[in-house]
Amino acid sequence: MIKKLLLRKEQQHELQQGDSAPSPPTLAHVLQEFEQCSDLKHRFFPDIHIDVLYFDHMVSGEDVGREILQPLRSLSVQEVSAYMRRSPFKRIDEAKRLIKGILDGQTALFWKDQAYLADTNGPQFRSVQQSETETVITGPHDSFIENIQTNLSLIRSRIKSSHLKVIPCEVGEITKTTVYILFIQDIANRELVHKLVRRIESVEMDGLTDTNMLIQYIDEHPNSVFPQFLTTERPDAAVSRLLSGRIVGIVDGSPSAFSAPTNFFEFFSSPDDYYQRWMLGTALRFLRFLAFIITVTFTAFYVSVTTYHYEMIPAALLTNLAESRYRVPFPPIYEALLMEITIELLREAGARLPTKIGQTIGIVGGIVIGQAAVQAGLTSNVLIIAVASSAIASFVIPSYVMSASIRLIRFGLIVLAGMWGNMGLMFGVAYIVIHLSGLSNLGVSYLSPLAPMNVSDWKDVFIRAPYWLMRKRSTSVKSPNPTRNRMKQ
Amino acid sequence: MLRKRISWLLGIIVLAGCSTSDQRILEELGFTHTTSYDLISQEEGASEDEKLKITISIPKADPDAEDKREVLTATGRTSKEARIQLSKMTNRTLVSGQLRNILYGSELARAGIWEHIDTLIRDPSIGQRVKITLVDGSAHDLLAKEYPDHPITGVYIAQMLDKEAKYQTVPDTNLYHFVRDYFDDGIDPVAPVMKDHGDHVDISGIGLFQDDRYVTKIATQQTMIFALLRGGFKQGEISIQLDDGSEGREFVFFSSLSSKRKVKVLNPKPPFSVEIHVTARASVLEYIGDLKPSEVPDQEKLERKISDYLQQEAQKMVEMMQKHQVDSLGIGKDIRNHMSFKEWSELDWREAYAQMEIRCNVQAEIKDYGKFQ
Repeated sequence: MIKKLLLRKEQQHELQQGDSAPSPPTLAHVLQEFEQCSDLKHRFFPDIHIDVLYFDHMVSGEDVGREILQPLRSLSVQEVSAYMRRSPFKRIDEAKRLIKGILDGQTALFWKDQAYLADTNGPQFRSVQQSETETVITGPHDSFIENIQTNLSLIRSRIKSSHLKVIPCEVGEITKTTVYILFIQDIANRELVHKLVRRIESVEMDGLTDTNMLIQYIDEHPNSVFPQFLTTERPDAAVSRLLSGRIVGIVDGSPSAFSAPTNFFEFFSSPDDYYQRWMLGTALRFLRFLAFIITVTFTAFYVSVTTYHYEMIPAALLTNLAESRYRVPFPPIYEALLMEITIELLREAGARLPTKIGQTIGIVGGIVIGQAAVQAGLTSNVLIIAVASSAIASFVIPSYVMSASIRLIRFGLIVLAGMWGNMGLMFGVAYIVIHLSGLSNLGVSYLSPLAPMNVSDWKDVFIRAPYWLMRKRSTSVKSPNPTRNRMKQ
Repeated sequence: MLRKRISWLLGIIVLAGCSTSDQRILEELGFTHTTSYDLISQEEGASEDEKLKITISIPKADPDAEDKREVLTATGRTSKEARIQLSKMTNRTLVSGQLRNILYGSELARAGIWEHIDTLIRDPSIGQRVKITLVDGSAHDLLAKEYPDHPITGVYIAQMLDKEAKYQTVPDTNLYHFVRDYFDDGIDPVAPVMKDHGDHVDISGIGLFQDDRYVTKIATQQTMIFALLRGGFKQGEISIQLDDGSEGREFVFFSSLSSKRKVKVLNPKPPFSVEIHVTARASVLEYIGDLKPSEVPDQEKLERKISDYLQQEAQKMVEMMQKHQVDSLGIGKDIRNHMSFKEWSELDWREAYAQMEIRCNVQAEIKDYGKFQ
């Protein structure tokens, strides 16, 4: 069904390409196009009959002044043609391209019914800073910014090879956002690249503001709770994806890149694993998978045990548990849902508030509410421990989108555990596993290399093997050059 | 598709609070920790057909309660009948999924306990690791008694049995072991026996069963000998008096005892004869007497003395068992392995066991003699 949709979109796309004949770029036409755009600067040089159009906040003022306006003021009519030959201006035959150039921050010049463009782009962006969401302890600290050119330069400067190819696409009917698809020739699978490009080209939307928005348009399972493209703000992570044969996309105006094909386990790896010694990296991987299990099942397990399976509780713990639950007026499921929702409220409040106030929220919420809830007999202290542990465990997962998805799943499992005990919990876990097995990303199974099984790929999934052992690239990227360090030129 | 899913989800959330029928919410339960079974003597004024007195002890969840446990007693013809009575006496749902220990009064045990064990096996909520324990006298009195140093008597008894079993003083008899030995041909079950000692509870020996009837008891002093005979183990202690009371005092304390047992069938045809080989290695941690454990010849003498003593005691014990026709050591299993099933079924094992010859052969070895040089 999805395939059919994509096909239809592609056909429509081709139709649109064909039906508009290029219109000549005249000044009047362009001015009409930019009617009521009061921020468009229009400079007219009457002696030499030249008009200059540009958005002064999109261009770098110095460039325009020095390179264009200054010389034009001192030109006589005879010198114009000579100037036009050695100036940075290029002739444009199409109104569409001219308008887009102006919108991109270029300067347009009209002379003798002809239109020219010069690249004077220089909008202001924030400088390259540390990543806020993906911090590492060792390794590079720069992160992508909102400017696609800067982001591209961050990647290019790390991969000094002509094999790094960039395919431009444009998404958004109104915003006309640039999307670059990056891949390394001879390592990435061409078919996958074409697939991704076709998919991006066929996206129909009027505006695109962020990478995370785009990937929801191009994934294969839009109704899944799990993210299917890995997004990262770190250039080094993007580069390592490229080197492993994956495809990376960057979107203008968004500080995150996405990579494909992705599997579920990739969301649990952090660049830190590669910068630490391999044993530590492996231990951290295990810790994260443990965190995943804790965050998904711990609270639900508490609910099922205290509601149905008193036999499972060790004798020493039984009295404590029963004592802590003694004053609680609700059944465990409501108690757990109440506390989980409280934690989520705190987390969301902390995320929405400025950092300084956010910390206060954490202290007030965590300590005061937690303590008071136990004192007041609304919850048992064992549950507080369970809820807090699973909240903390969920933050161990490096990818924010993944940890948010997992936190959502937890609620379903708590409800199931409250209804049918361990059986319900197992049903829920089984359903999640079945769902995960059904997902795919660019035609690659989401659970690879676990299902379909490929043990040699585990060296970079469940463990972080020493580098001398990782001679092969992951099979799931279907690379034409499966062995690292051996480029068929 | 999506609408279907959402309606499912809503249904699940709405239904989440509905299923209360099979819920077992922790604080609403009374977990029976220990149960005791007794026969009612006629003086207690029970009607003719009520024969069982059942007592249960339930730890309390209320942290502010004066008592840490609830003790309930009921009488009935069967244990489940008594349980219905018991559940009428408490505000909590009685469940047996946390049952840890079952005490049988000696009178009841002499009459046979199989019909009470039967219900334990049938009930799926009762685990296989529930302890089976005998009580000298009335089990109810022991369980209901308050020991000032130990707030919950049931827990106190259970922990004590655990600890003692770790050092081989008593066999660790749980439901699984008891039923296995009961059904197995050529071995009889055993169970530890407890006794009230005023301000504390004491282990008063090991009860030997003939099928499901408690027949006789091995005294506390002899329990280590029984452990040596019943099978190998890795950790134990035994204190031995070597002198016969006429000449000077001689004591030895054998610690970190590990032993191996082998049964050799010498004559697999009636009249049977077997030899039980026991090798015991241990450290001497206390020696009072004339020998010097640090000298090699003296060590050998001491080893021989200890071996002889243990062998005598073991021989006495085996003869006692033969007299009572209880095969607690599982000699029958080894005999059984030397004949066809048909022959075994035709054999009156109890009779043959009483008549057969069982020789004990104990080798004691001194591993070391402690830190003392």
